[in-house]
Parts: sequence; structure tokens; C-alpha cells
Amino acid sequence: MTGARLAGSPALRLVGRRLLAAIVVLWGVTFLTFAVMSALPNDTAQVLLGLHATPAQVAELNKALGLNRPFPVRYWHWLVGLLHGNLGTDLEGASVNSQLAQHLPVTLELLAYALIGSLLLAVIVAVLAARKPNSLADRFSLGVSMLGLSAAPYAFAIFLIVIFAVKLNWFPVQSNSLGSGTLLSFFQQGTLPAASLGFPLFAIYTRLLRADLVEQLQREDYIVTAKAKGLAPWRVLIGHALRNSVFSLITVVGLNLGTLIGAAAIIEALFSVPGIGAELLTAIGNKDVPLIEGVVLVFALVTVLGNLAADLAYAVLDPRIRYGRSTS
Amino acid sequence: MAAPRPEAALPGTGYLPPGPPLLPPVGVSSRRLASQRLGRALRLWIPAGIVLLILATCFLLPQVTSLPSPTNGNILDAGDPPFSPGHWLGTDPVGVDVFSQLVYGGQVAFEIGFGVTGIGIAVGSLLGVTAGYFGGWVDAILSRVLDILIAFPALVLALAIAEGLGPSEVHVIWALSAFSIPAFGRLTRGATLVVRDLPFMVAARLAGTRGWRVIARHVLPNIMPGIVTFSLLGIGVVIILEGALDYLGEGIPPPTASWGAMIASGQTVLTAQPEYVLIPSIVLVIVVAALNMLGDALRERWGVR
Amino acid sequence: MRFRLLSKRTACVAGAAVLIVTAAACSSSSSPGQAAGSSSPVAGGTITVLEGQGFSGDWPYGFDPATDVTGAANQDFFDAVYGQLFDLGANGVIEPDLATGYSFSPNAETVTVTLRKGVTFSDGTPFNAQAVYWNWMRDLGPLAVKAGIESMWDLKRVNPKVPTSAPVAGAIQVTGPYTIVVHQDVPNGAFIDQLFDAIANWIASPTAVQKEGATKFAQYPVGAGPFTVVSDTYNSELVVKKNPHYWQAGHPYLNGITFKAVSGDEAAYESLLAGQGQVYEDLSTTQILSEAGQHFTEENNPGTSPYDLQLNTAVAPFNSIKARQAIYAATNFSPILSKIFGNRYPVTQSFTGPGGICYDPNVSGYQGYDATLAKTLIAASGLNKVTFTLGTINSSPVAIETTEALRTEWEALGMHVKIANYPLAGLIAAFEANGGKSWTAMIQTAGAFDPASGVGVGFRFGSMSPFSGVHDPALDKLLSQATSFTSTAQRCTYYDQAAEYIASHYYGPFYFTFAPANIAVKSVHGPGLTAPLPSVAVVPVIPWQDVYESSSSS
Repeated sequence: MTGARLAGSPALRLVGRRLLAAIVVLWGVTFLTFAVMSALPNDTAQVLLGLHATPAQVAELNKALGLNRPFPVRYWHWLVGLLHGNLGTDLEGASVNSQLAQHLPVTLELLAYALIGSLLLAVIVAVLAARKPNSLADRFSLGVSMLGLSAAPYAFAIFLIVIFAVKLNWFPVQSNSLGSGTLLSFFQQGTLPAASLGFPLFAIYTRLLRADLVEQLQREDYIVTAKAKGLAPWRVLIGHALRNSVFSLITVVGLNLGTLIGAAAIIEALFSVPGIGAELLTAIGNKDVPLIEGVVLVFALVTVLGNLAADLAYAVLDPRIRYGRSTS
Repeated sequence: MAAPRPEAALPGTGYLPPGPPLLPPVGVSSRRLASQRLGRALRLWIPAGIVLLILATCFLLPQVTSLPSPTNGNILDAGDPPFSPGHWLGTDPVGVDVFSQLVYGGQVAFEIGFGVTGIGIAVGSLLGVTAGYFGGWVDAILSRVLDILIAFPALVLALAIAEGLGPSEVHVIWALSAFSIPAFGRLTRGATLVVRDLPFMVAARLAGTRGWRVIARHVLPNIMPGIVTFSLLGIGVVIILEGALDYLGEGIPPPTASWGAMIASGQTVLTAQPEYVLIPSIVLVIVVAALNMLGDALRERWGVR
Repeated sequence: MRFRLLSKRTACVAGAAVLIVTAAACSSSSSPGQAAGSSSPVAGGTITVLEGQGFSGDWPYGFDPATDVTGAANQDFFDAVYGQLFDLGANGVIEPDLATGYSFSPNAETVTVTLRKGVTFSDGTPFNAQAVYWNWMRDLGPLAVKAGIESMWDLKRVNPKVPTSAPVAGAIQVTGPYTIVVHQDVPNGAFIDQLFDAIANWIASPTAVQKEGATKFAQYPVGAGPFTVVSDTYNSELVVKKNPHYWQAGHPYLNGITFKAVSGDEAAYESLLAGQGQVYEDLSTTQILSEAGQHFTEENNPGTSPYDLQLNTAVAPFNSIKARQAIYAATNFSPILSKIFGNRYPVTQSFTGPGGICYDPNVSGYQGYDATLAKTLIAASGLNKVTFTLGTINSSPVAIETTEALRTEWEALGMHVKIANYPLAGLIAAFEANGGKSWTAMIQTAGAFDPASGVGVGFRFGSMSPFSGVHDPALDKLLSQATSFTSTAQRCTYYDQAAEYIASHYYGPFYFTFAPANIAVKSVHGPGLTAPLPSVAVVPVIPWQDVYESSSSS
């Protein structure tokens, strides 16, 4: 695409609209986060001052921290601090930024492992299944994916640990140092948690891809043409049908990100992964409001970005938009 | 068509998995047709039967027979294995009957599942149909509202509410509704968009039928199949989410029985006594799988994508 | 005012020579101490030690003594890096470590501690009385006060009205390069016992603290202990290696240890079965304990901290003595002991345990189980008309099971009970909420090796403690009299009286002395793993410098 084509193209306008929408959503999420957190009882001042603080001292610190000012004022200050990149200090005295910086990469790596692994497996299984619908391979894939949709990740994780860690000893039972070692140790410690997270994803992607592939193989004219031309079935499947199905898969991945990060919290706690989800659970147990706010914000940010990326990817990759025809 | 429509992205939002397998068009011998019909019937009625059976067990059985208490046990009976007299699935380490916990935990799970889904349908459909039908900037605003709700991590909201206000069944329903409302909103919005431009709809509008009447008479009946099948899958997801909250101790407060809490406490003795985890986990999988398969079968029957 | 007892007492003590108190003289004997197997120590090897989250597997603040809020839970790590001034050895013997001895003045007010010569911190700076003085002042200073963990020593303060103000000059004195003297304001013969698991027992290198600053130092502490820190990820993993300059020749035997946090007893057990760890400390889940002995060495250390049910006498319903007596009479503990705890632990009626001093399981006048009496008392006190909350810590499955079992027993008699399980921080908050008037009943452990130290009696029954439900000056007086002697026999007399007082006022029933077990693979040996070790407070502290790995197992 030449520059001139891009500038006036509907694609750019679409991207622009989507970005604007994403900013609105981001603002809305910060507001909602802050509103929910303000509604919770907040002992920050008491905890910062320690056990021997008198009520008078606590009231004074509350005043100094601005915790007794009206809601809009506090929100404004928080937002301003946020825009300066300052997320405050948590109840243990560490800066929220540093906690996030330390733990977030671990979670993101784990999520990436789960996503990529489930995508790859889903592609393989879906291709094999779509090749011969209703065959044994197909039924098997449908059965396994039904299980993936129905099994609770936390129960599945327990099952994985007992079989693969305890009985077979292929992986460690707990993954304490995930993300701070070699690549090999990352795979050793990360496989079971990623599998727990990825199993439902694999199920969704397999079904989506398989359904899409089968539909294309049956209905699309160009497939019929390709077969008529004598192209081998495998090449048709992978070279043509798969390439087109990947679009819908990508959008789905982006939309998934939000729920995924919530599921990650429980899995991280189960496996003792030092990620942001486990941090959140501890923070909630300790009523560490600054840390909770920071983590929730990050979760929401990831979700919004995921949605935005999916929207954009789909919009931009849709050939009808790329080449300037009207969108639906 | 090579590229998917935006609405087609819905089926994989993580909330609604894609549709049931399409049967390939093959030669139509009558035997083949008959076996296909039988297959379809089985795929519908077996899961339906399972769901109905479980619902009956959870809600009707306690009315009909008297079950041991699901919250108080006799410590002298602690740790009884399955098939012990009086406790046919045994008792947990403090003597509470396991079967009763399953039954009453099931009540809670379904109550929350139906409650959250009901709220999602009522509120979410209202928002979604309005957005889809009227379009323009009504759509823009409502869509942003839905996006904001979806972006807010539901689990965190539930945990925050539980911590702040104390865990309870009602709080769980509120918290999870923040997740079901936008899901139904998006679904109904997409479905409404599809239906809106169909010829008969255009005709109705041209004939002067009022907006709300069009919606009630024409839009809703046409999107209803999608809503129903989506609900069934949604109930399954909510049950799993609610189990997660109970597992963390932030859902239904103990000692009220819940499947997630059973799994959590069973996990502490997993190697020694795996049945405390296995039993509720298996029940959970069966319930959610039955709901999923029922939803699939209905979509197949009603031709919903 | 502080919750440590301040009343004056008569002083009476014999002897002023350097004493090594053999606490076993007073207590009934704990399990016979045996040599650690028939294998002899072998140098070398590294092991992985698992620690349960929610207690010893959490170290959110790092390892600076002055900011160590999680105290009892992380003693292991502190001892590995800092060593201790004194160790609590097998059979309750106080052993010299970085300090070689102590003596009390005749009135038990002045304590002189002698330090070991020729020791250096792992950064090469000298370990001496100046360094100890610097640390002790810091432990009384603003950083520790802010964290709420300052040393609760009875010293003359600059501002007598503010008990956390700085001590007057000369209250702590350096009288020689290796001697330091503490001038207490009141007689206190338990001073040395109180050092165990206290921040004053761990001496940090002043140079390192000043150079790195408190925050960084907490993550990479420098002490004079057997190990030095290689890497430290809070609440997750701590790797230490042998300190080549450690004062005790030949020790530590191990070249290094990796401490890993695991989510609980079950996860630890699975890890050990999978060969992914060699030691797990503080295993309490009964079902696992029953099995673990088949695969691993299981060491049931003599307990020092009985479970007790604390009743808050400051608020209804337990401000009524009838209601409290009703609880005593309503609790049938033997099925709980048998079903949940497999009858592993001896029942007790006071705050002492078989591993500590002054052990006395039977208290005269103790109200036992009596269902008929309970019903009468419940009706008379109106206990059946209110709902009260029974709380405990959520990291212990057996504690939770105990609260559940108690609830069932009590509800069968007509009471209405709500259960609350708290994480550690939440538990502290629950005690302190509303000026201590929110909580009604809590299952906790009370008592330590020496009832006067750590989570001892004063902690749970003293009027000044935020974690106590009792505010009774007469009991305070008994407890403070019990610390004013250096003779254990005399102290025990007063502790016996205190136990009877608690029983006659029904301040809270005791159950049994809980002692979690440590399990280890057969090739690992050491005190607390293959030989019993009393707990300083609740859990025993393994001296890692004495642990070794040897494939020739006993």
C-alpha cells in the first residue's frame, strides 16, 4: 500500500475511531476501579502508622493523605498521579510500580506460553479433524474440547499436578522461580500452569477453527476451484482455508485476554508462581488497597489493549477494508 | 466468504465457544438420515436428561427425603469412606456428609448460575437490543459502556466486593453480573444488527410500525434462540467462576456448602484421600458438560451460529 | 502502657555465678534426646527446604531484624543468616552460639552477656559488643517501633510516660570489647529465654546496614551466621550458601540450601514425593502425617504451645463468667483429638507443653466436659440468644477443622456460632479492630518454651496485650511474679498458680500441646529432623548449621 492510499483509506479512519473508543474505555475503567476501591473500607493510614498509633494520629494522617476529601477530588488526584506514572506505595512500603515491574513480566510470560501453546495445538488438531469430518480423529477432538470447556481450571490443575508432577515426575509440583531462570527452567516450571490455563483456550480455538475450516471446505467456491484444478487436499486445507480462518482466531485471542488474566490469579496461587495474579490475591487478603488498585488497573489495561488489538487486527486484515470497499 | 463478519467473532469471545460440528452433506440414504436424526435426538435428550436429573436431585430431593445436614456433622463420624451406613458418599474430615454437601452446593451453584444469567439477559439484552436497533450514537455510547464493563476483570470485582462487604450469595451474584451483562449485551447487539436489515424488518419499518413494537414483535423472537443457547453455555461458565470464588474462600461463606469450597478443602489431603477432590470435581465437569452439550444440541436444532 | 507487666515484685534469687540453666530440671522429660542417628556428619551437598505459605513461606519484608514483622514464622531464615546469640538446644538446654555466657545480678535486674571472640560478619567487619550495642539500640529505635516489633525491654526511658521512647544513656552498656550489660528496670529472670525468636537475638552487620540502607539490606542481609544470601525473591525462594568464615569450624556441613515457598502441607508432601525437596517443616495435616512416616523421616518434636480458646472478656457474651464456664463444659475434646489429630498429642489444661519449662498438664479446679451443666449454664447466661464468632488462622487446615468441629458441638447444645478464618495480617487486624472489642472467641496457640517469652502467656492473657481477651490485674501480678526469679523452680510455682487462676475464672480452655512435625528424606539428618527439638514458640527452629546429608542412613 502506498502512503497516499493509506492516508485516505478507510482503514486508517477505522483505526482512529477504534483508538478513540479505547481511550474512552480506559478512562471508564479507571473511574470504575477507583469507585469500587473507594467504596471499600480503607485502613491505609492506620497500617502505615503502625500498631501504636492513636486515633488522633490516624485522623491526621488521613487528612494529610487526603483520604477524607470528597470522592471527585480524590479521584482527580489519583488520576493525576496515575498520569505521572505514580501508582503510590503499598502497605508494606514498596512502591506499587516496583511490585508490578517485578511480577507482571512473569504473568505475561506465562500467559504467552499458554496462548501460543494452545493456538499451535488447536491448529494442528483442528486441521486433522477438519480433514475428515466425523472421523475418529474428529470425534476425539470434539470430545477433548468439550472436556476443556467444561473442566474448571483449578480442578484440572490439581489433576495435572498429581499425574505429571507427583506420579511421573516430569515437572515440578510448584513453580516458585518461574521467569527468573534459564529457558529450560521456564519450560519446566511453566508447562503445568500454562496447560491449566490453556486447556479451555485450546478447546475454544479448536472448535472455532474446525468449524470454520469445515464450513470453508464445504461452501467456498475457491476451494472447489482449487480441488478441481487438482491441488492436493492438504495444500488446499493449509494453504488456503487455514490462512483465512486465522483472522477470526486472532480476534478471539484478543477478546480472551481479559478473562484469562482473572483465571491466571488462581492458577498462579495454586502453583506458587510469583506473578501479578498471586500478588493480587495476597493484596486482597491483606486489604492492601494501593496495590489492589494498581493491579486491577493493569488487568483492565491488558484487557482493553487485547480488545483493541483484536478489533484493529480484524479491521485491518479484512480485505474488504484494506482495499477500500465499504464495511458492514 | 473469506473474512469473517464482526458478529462471527462473538462465538469465540471466551464466553461462547463456537458452534456444534456441522455434518458434511453426504449422500442421503434413508438409513443415513434416520441414524442422523437419532444421533441428533440423543445429543439433545441425553444432556437434557442429565441436567434435569441433577436439578431434581439438588432441589427436589431434599424436600422429599431428609438428608443429613450439609453444614454440621458429628465429629465421631469424621472421615467415613463412601458407602458407609447413613452416608452414602462418606463424610469429610469433620463429619459433614459429602452427598448433602453436593446437593446443597448444587442448589447454590444453580441459584447463582440462573440468577447471574437472568440478570444478564434482562439488563444485557435491553442494552444490546437498544444499541443494535437504534444505532448511531446511542449505539456508540452503549457500546462503550459494555466495553468498560467487559474490560473490568470480573474476578477482581467479585473478590473486592467479597472482601469489602463480606462474602455472601447475593454479593457473588452482583459481582458476576458485571460480567454477564456485557456478554449478553454484545450478543444481542450483534444478533440485532443481523436481524435489523433483513427484508421483512425493513418492510415493517416502512409500514410505519413503531420502534418498540418492531423490537418486541420481530427482533426479540428472532434473537431468542441465540439468547437461550448462549444462556445455557453461560450458566456453565458462571458455575465454574462461582466455584473459583468459593475455592478462594471469597464466594459463599463457610460453613454453607459449595462445590468450590469442597475442592479447596479436599485439596489439603489430596494424596492421602483423593476422593474429597475427585467427587466434587467430577460432578462439576458433568454438570457443565451437560449444559454445554445441551446448548450445542439446541443450536444445532435451531440453526443458530 | 505496654502489655509487658510492670508491677514491682519482691526479689529473691540465689546465686550470681554464670548459669547455664538446665530447664529440664523442672519440666517432665521430653522425648529422650538421642544422637542424630548412627551416621556421622558428612560435609557437602545442597538441599531444598520447603516452607508453607501463610506462615514460614512468607517473608514480605525481608530479613532486617528491625522491620521483621513476621517474627516467629521466619526464624529459620534469620538463624541461617545471622546465627543467634543463644540457641535453644535439645532438651531445652540454652546453648551458646555467638554469645558464650550470661549472668544475672542477685536481684535479677542486671544481665551481663559475654560474646564470642574472634568472630567476623560475612562482610569481614568485626563482631563485637559495639556491634551488638548498635543492633540492640536499633531494635529499640523508631524503625522497629513503627513496625510494632520493638524490643519490649523494661529499661529506664528518656520519657517515662512513653514506653517506646529511647532508653536513657547507660541503660545498655558496653563494658568491654566482648561484654555488654543490660540494666533492667524490674527484676526479670526470663531475659535470656525471651531472647529466643526475638529480634535482639539476631545481630546484623552495622557497616552493611549503613552502607546499603534498610530496604536493600532486608533483601540481602549480612550477619555472622552459617550461611550467606545468594538470591532472595520475597515470598518465593531464598538461596543461601555456606559462609566460609563461619566461626564454628567444620560447620555448616551443607554447602547451600534453597528455601522454597509452597502453597501448603499437601503441595509440600507432593513435592517431597516427587523428589523435588528434601525437608518440609511444620507439617500439621493429620491425614498426611499418617502417611508420611512410610516414606520419610517424621520427627514429632515436643510441643511447647498448647492450643487454647481465647474468650474476649471485654465484651458480650464472654464478659459473663457463666457464659465462659458454659464453653468449658460444652467442649468435648476427646473425639476432636482422636478424629482430627489422631490422638497424637497429650491433652493439657494449662499453657505449658512437654517441650518447655514448667509443664503441668493437670490443673486443679479445671472445668471439664459436662453436657448437662453446659445446657444449664447456656440458658442461665443467655448464650443461646446471641451469635458469636469463632476465628482462627486460615493457613492451618487442622485449625480450621477444629473450629468446624467445635462449632458443631456447640450448636448441638443450642449456641449460635459463626466461623471466621483469617490470613495472618487479617488475624492481627481482627484482634485490634474497634479497640479490641470486635472479636469474641479465637482458637490460637498460647505459650512458648518459656511462658514469659514470645507468644507466651502474657501475649494471650496479659491485660496489656492487644492479642489478649483478659484484663485482670491479679493475673498480671501472678505472671510478673513468675518472671522475677532466675530459679526455674520458683518461677514454676507462680505459673502453676496462674494456671489455676485462669481455670477458676474460666478465661479460656486449653486443649493439647500442638507440635507440627518436620519431615525429611531419609538421607538428611539433624536436630529437629532426626532428633527432637523443643519449639521456641509453636514451631521448632532447625539449626541449619548442624544439618547434614548422608546416604548411609540410620
